[in-house]
Amino acid sequence: MSTALEQHRLYRMTHPDSIAMFGASNNPSSMGTIILRALLAFRYPGKVYPVHPREKEVQGLKAYSRVGELPEAPDLAVIVLPTAIVCDTLEECGAKGIRNAVIVSGGFKEVGPEGAQREKRLVEIADKYGIKIIGPNCLGITNTHSRINTTPHSYRGNPGFIGMVSQSGSFVTQMFEYLDQFGLGFSTAFSIGNEANTDLVDCLEYLGTCPHTKVIALYVEAIRRGREFVETARKIVPEKPIVALYVGGSETGRKAALSHTGSMSGPDALYDGIFRQSGVIRASSITELFDLCMAFGRLPLPQGNRVFIQTHSGGPGAVAADACGRAGLELPSPSDQTRDALKDLVPATASIKNPIDLTFTKDVMQFFSTIPAALLSDPLCDLLMFYFYAPLEMIKRALIQIGVSKEELDKNLAGVLKSIAQQMKTLITKSKKPVVCFSYHNTSEPAVKALFDNDLPFYEGPERAVRTIQAMTTYMTLKEKIAAQDKAVQAGQTQASP
Amino acid sequence: MTKKEEAGSIIKKAVDQGRKALSEYESKQVLAAYGVPVTREALARTPEEAVQAASRLGYPVVLKACSWQIMHKSEGGLVALNLGCEDDVKKAFDRISGRLSGPVDGMLVQEMVSGKRELVVGMNRDPQFGPCVMLGLGGIMTEILNDAVFRMAPVDMLEVEDMAGQLRCKKILDAFRGDGPVDREALFRCVSGAGQIGLDRETVAEIDINPVLVSSDGSVKAVDALIVLA
Repeated sequence: MSTALEQHRLYRMTHPDSIAMFGASNNPSSMGTIILRALLAFRYPGKVYPVHPREKEVQGLKAYSRVGELPEAPDLAVIVLPTAIVCDTLEECGAKGIRNAVIVSGGFKEVGPEGAQREKRLVEIADKYGIKIIGPNCLGITNTHSRINTTPHSYRGNPGFIGMVSQSGSFVTQMFEYLDQFGLGFSTAFSIGNEANTDLVDCLEYLGTCPHTKVIALYVEAIRRGREFVETARKIVPEKPIVALYVGGSETGRKAALSHTGSMSGPDALYDGIFRQSGVIRASSITELFDLCMAFGRLPLPQGNRVFIQTHSGGPGAVAADACGRAGLELPSPSDQTRDALKDLVPATASIKNPIDLTFTKDVMQFFSTIPAALLSDPLCDLLMFYFYAPLEMIKRALIQIGVSKEELDKNLAGVLKSIAQQMKTLITKSKKPVVCFSYHNTSEPAVKALFDNDLPFYEGPERAVRTIQAMTTYMTLKEKIAAQDKAVQAGQTQASP
Repeated sequence: MTKKEEAGSIIKKAVDQGRKALSEYESKQVLAAYGVPVTREALARTPEEAVQAASRLGYPVVLKACSWQIMHKSEGGLVALNLGCEDDVKKAFDRISGRLSGPVDGMLVQEMVSGKRELVVGMNRDPQFGPCVMLGLGGIMTEILNDAVFRMAPVDMLEVEDMAGQLRCKKILDAFRGDGPVDREALFRCVSGAGQIGLDRETVAEIDINPVLVSSDGSVKAVDALIVLA
């Protein structure tokens, strides 16, 4: 039996066994060539058929002068041709039996009435043959788990868990490096361009079925099928979170309304409410969008909004507590049992309130193991915010202190960093509660890198960590609300039927 | 004819006449048919009819000029509040009549409802999402304070509760300065009713129920309403 993913109408689009490539040549600066090179650099395992009117060979592959000459009907056509010949090319693809096309070429709806007319013809041809189009005017798709990349940027990083649908190509391609610094990556990402016959809702639905996708990120300028969007999102949200950045809301462009309601329903306020109704978490920036994705993909969900903060520095703990307060998160004091358990582990100067400020660390390793474990076992703690400050110099000093020689230092260092990260991971696995690490380290700090290597989140500054925690608790609330609403609908239907 | 069918024929008649809106009286009949709690009221064409209506409704009453073309009644001095006796009603009838600049359907005689809290409920049609509903802080400062939330219609009770929780002013829905908490069920009927009209009646472009007045016992009533036609 095939999976929901395999049955999805976009499955062949994202899992083609063979690709016909239009627009690639031996000119290294043409867009088509750049895309073909990115595909080959990704070691795409399927067959690639460059189609070129004159070249016999393109980038080392046998080239065909027309689609009709291909030895088979490939699963996918990638079209990077001058606007004027795109429609005719699609017609030939259809006649050959190709049923999926990524059309990178622009010059359609986005350039005005003439382009819109051209796009209408494109859709008519697609409909005639039953071809699904991603684009035109897009940067295509990346499915990192199947080594597909039809974008002009070489994929960098590992296959990931973030499914992305973007109305801007840049937020697919230019995010490869951005995500890689956190050890993150896309599962499948769609740059959907003009959405000629495959739109944001179709791709969202697809990612809902994709097992590699743990969280879905959306970059939205306008949702065209509004009601279908809400319905589709609400079906996915109980299974996986959806995070969206919406920036389309121009308050000046809205129509003159006679009512208060009309004049107040600017797109920004409307999308805000509709995302909430859909169970979609709204992000306010690209940074925040992927901050949220990092936590959703790497942490268990908190069962409530009661946060413990562990720190050894007063200021950062206070700033974290302040951010929690403003975000509506609770900061209960640890239970008496937890205080007792901590007594022997912490110095006399420590404050076992919340933040739990250890002032300094008696034993560095306990800071990362027994102390947070005691905090996490407290029933009053739904989630631990952890001040993760581990500069390389400090770790080196600690190693020398326990007798590691200068020569052995580097060898031991990697092991120590790894073991710290693994201890953090174990804390989460054992307690089934999220541990959110933060400090003012940047992502190139070796200890932070080690967290990322072990699939753990880390945030620069407590504000980003708190915003993420808030999003996780909101997700829990919205998920429960949708479940209660669905249950009420089902109960109503059962009642209504005789 | 069911109440909703009656509401449909009120709308259809106005559309056929090429009108841009329903009068307050018609708007409230339509809203009431969809379960929205509205003020008790009657349309009077003469001072005598107004007095009769007032004694039926019980004093004090409110008198308002009623026409689909009058969208800003209070600015034009076309509303008289808190009329306590026959004489007040007759005088107010004449005073408002003297200020009219065009024909009206009559004077709307309305029970006087008072309360400290005013909410706004509305419906607007979005090209992508279709009929959408709004709940917010109402009254004359509605657009200044701009505390309102939106959803796509239809909405259920849980969704309206969630909307209420999103308002910056959400605390005024609880017990407030000696007044009772807002009747959430009735508030739900305001929002869901406005949404359902949008779903059922394509010729309705926008709805404003402003204010939805909250009495000291927490009960809510549409005190003024406007239905804009497409």
